[in-house]
Amino acid sequence: MPNEITNGNSVISLKGVNKWYGDFQALKDINLEIKAKEKIVICGPSGSGKSTLIRCLNRLEAHQEGQIHVTGIELHETMKDIDIVRQDIGMVFQGFNLFPHLTVLENCMAGPNWVRGIDEKEAKERAMSMLEQVKIPEQADKYPEQLSGGQQQRVAIARSLCMQPKVMLFDEPTSALDPEMVSEVLETMVELAKSGMTMICVTHEMGFAKQVADRIIFMDEGEIVEENTPEEFFNNPQNNRTKTFLDQILT
Amino acid sequence: MFVDTVVEDKALHKPAFLIGLSVTVLAIFFAFNFTNTIFGEFLSPVIGNPEESGLFGRFVVSFVLSVIFVLNLLAISFARLKIQILIVWFELFLLFLAFAYSFDLKLSFIQSRIGLMISKGLFTTIYISAVSIVIATAIAIVGAIAKLSNNGFAYAIASFYTSLFRGLPLLLQVYLIYKGLPQLGFMVDAIPSGIAALSLCYGAYMTEIFRAGIQSIPKGQWEASRALGFKSGLILRKIILPQSIPIIVPPTGNQFIAMLKDSSLVSVLGIWELMYLAKTLGQRDFRHMEMLLTAAMIYWGLTIILEMIQARIERKYQQKT
Amino acid sequence: MSIKLGFKTSSIAITALLLSIGMTAKAGVVYDYIKNNNELMIATDANWAPFSYINDAGEMEGFDVDVGREIAKRMGVEARFITPAWDVITSGNWNMRWDVSVGSMTPTESRSEVLNFPAVYYYTPAAFAVHTDSTVTNLAGLNGKNICTTAASTWEMYLQGNLDMLNAPAFTYKVTPGTITSLVDGSACLDDTRLGAGVRNDGIIDSVPMIQNAIEAGYPIKFLGDNAFYEPLSVATDKGNNDAELDAEIARIIAEMQSDYTLSLLSMKWFKNADGSSNDYTIAY
Repeated sequence: MPNEITNGNSVISLKGVNKWYGDFQALKDINLEIKAKEKIVICGPSGSGKSTLIRCLNRLEAHQEGQIHVTGIELHETMKDIDIVRQDIGMVFQGFNLFPHLTVLENCMAGPNWVRGIDEKEAKERAMSMLEQVKIPEQADKYPEQLSGGQQQRVAIARSLCMQPKVMLFDEPTSALDPEMVSEVLETMVELAKSGMTMICVTHEMGFAKQVADRIIFMDEGEIVEENTPEEFFNNPQNNRTKTFLDQILT
Repeated sequence: MFVDTVVEDKALHKPAFLIGLSVTVLAIFFAFNFTNTIFGEFLSPVIGNPEESGLFGRFVVSFVLSVIFVLNLLAISFARLKIQILIVWFELFLLFLAFAYSFDLKLSFIQSRIGLMISKGLFTTIYISAVSIVIATAIAIVGAIAKLSNNGFAYAIASFYTSLFRGLPLLLQVYLIYKGLPQLGFMVDAIPSGIAALSLCYGAYMTEIFRAGIQSIPKGQWEASRALGFKSGLILRKIILPQSIPIIVPPTGNQFIAMLKDSSLVSVLGIWELMYLAKTLGQRDFRHMEMLLTAAMIYWGLTIILEMIQARIERKYQQKT
Repeated sequence: MSIKLGFKTSSIAITALLLSIGMTAKAGVVYDYIKNNNELMIATDANWAPFSYINDAGEMEGFDVDVGREIAKRMGVEARFITPAWDVITSGNWNMRWDVSVGSMTPTESRSEVLNFPAVYYYTPAAFAVHTDSTVTNLAGLNGKNICTTAASTWEMYLQGNLDMLNAPAFTYKVTPGTITSLVDGSACLDDTRLGAGVRNDGIIDSVPMIQNAIEAGYPIKFLGDNAFYEPLSVATDKGNNDAELDAEIARIIAEMQSDYTLSLLSMKWFKNADGSSNDYTIAY
């Protein structure tokens, strides 16, 4: 690993990352360093490349140029053991993506049991404690479709946490939820933030951003337009595009 | 179909339709001329000797038949849906029996042979079909995965295979495998040849079913599994295939029912399955229809049983998801 | 969607595995194989009463079956019958799936390209038959008509005018059909004829014992004219294996069965006329 460690204590590091879908450039020259325990919120209008960016971090999407290092390992097309890297990066999706044929408990046990090779008893204990952490231990034996959207998303968070990841990625975790369910998911995320987890969240929830983010990144047309602390970002946006966006989203 | 909450008047209860129907039915019965059948004899008090009753007799017979037919329809139309279905089934079945009866069947002949038809013929048919569907399923899983893979060899082999075996008549495959494999140094007996042909042919069709089943699972399931660090094989085995089973089961059940009947094609290899015995057992005594109709009833009964089992399995999966 | 998988040839492996099921390794000369296995595998038709058919108990029975059993007995081995379709037998390339055919096969030029005919064991007359209501009164009346027969049979060859029997008594083509209806299942012709004169066919050609049986079973058919031709019927072996020892042994056994009247007795057992008299088809024509 020649490029290892050159990135200091960054958990995630992107250098000159470019990505195209055919002729359309989805990411333009992205440079980003994220340190352990940092909380990053990425926002921007739809089609700005924020989801693409976060999905490149566990290589659900491939980038064509530049370098992405995650926990010191470079992600590229011919790499070995992408699954090992992914085990350390939790991801929560907009559409939950729970496994519908497994119970809530089985959803949470699947990763530790099948991938990490932890025996069933311990996996079950860990799953139950994570379900308690997201405050739905009583739903353990139900199937996902029997739960509300908010509950499903909390199960999805618990499922990721069961893998004891070093980083958690959130890809618009509240966008598919009914309004009254957004807060329960955000509460869970806030508590997770307090526990010291490294978090990268694509979200439009500016209240959440203000409350937990160390840095807010604003993207538009595949570029990082602005990157700043919440105070600066909301009170003193530098770029016109940022201002326009904030005007739209905060009214 | 999803039924509306507003019901139209029954067509049968509209006078215009009823008259039109009656006239059509009358014309059909008149055209087919039932005078010289049991109906003519039955009406001989009115029309005299059916053979000499001419157009008058022909008209009377078809008129009476039409009246019975239309009244029967009317009567059924007043019953509840379930009763309607039962009565119509029953009447159609009676017609089928009457059709069979018209062959002047010798029941004692059927009785003396039916044991052999079931113990040997039906057993062999089920045995061959069951083994074939298991192998075909295995082929289909491998074929579907190969077709969805980005491995050029696997895709090419799988698509060549499905193209070839879906493109040839099953009977031709039976001959090719039975006659052709020994040329390649594989001595295959009749039953394994038959099973190989059925498995390969149905495996090709089922490959497409399985491929569609796997593809119908949302991409998010793959992504969630990958994000947890699952490898491809594990994702397929634990996440994708279990979810595609409810989608795959109904068409696979249909394939099995179809295979049960297509297995009759292996009779050319001299395998004593149901169809083979149906064709041969009646030969010495020149009682072919007895055996063919018996086989027909056995195939039909078996299909009904399988359809019921299939419905149960489908219901089970529907409950679960 | 794409699935990344390492295996490249699993389809091949599965296919090979599948095909190897039931694979038996036969080797060496046929006759040695028969002796070593203590079993003579005899191919015959199961749809050809009274020559060979399945009885109520599900066992093979008939003249050919009895002859086959007797051959096996005199070889000192067990007889086992298998019943592939007729065209599967006549097309040769048996690959030692069975050893001999005792199925009333007529030696012809074309068949001798793939099969050997070590011994003729009887002769049957073939004749035309028509529905009892038929207005046709002599064989000439069938010219240009629709005649039904078994596919890949000598009768079909006769109708086509290219019957190339070996060592057969002289004959002439007495009928030039307009249409030949060849059915894989020969007995289906009789059923078609039963439907009426000219309905599905105008007449059939078949072996006399077969037609005789049908008449006795109450079929509304009658013989038409004299017998069309006599055909010698032979045991057949696979030319592909060309086992001279086996052929010689069969020839010896058949000659023996002729000289000790076994064949005649079997013929009289199976070929009875309506009046109760019997036919010995093994010597005369």
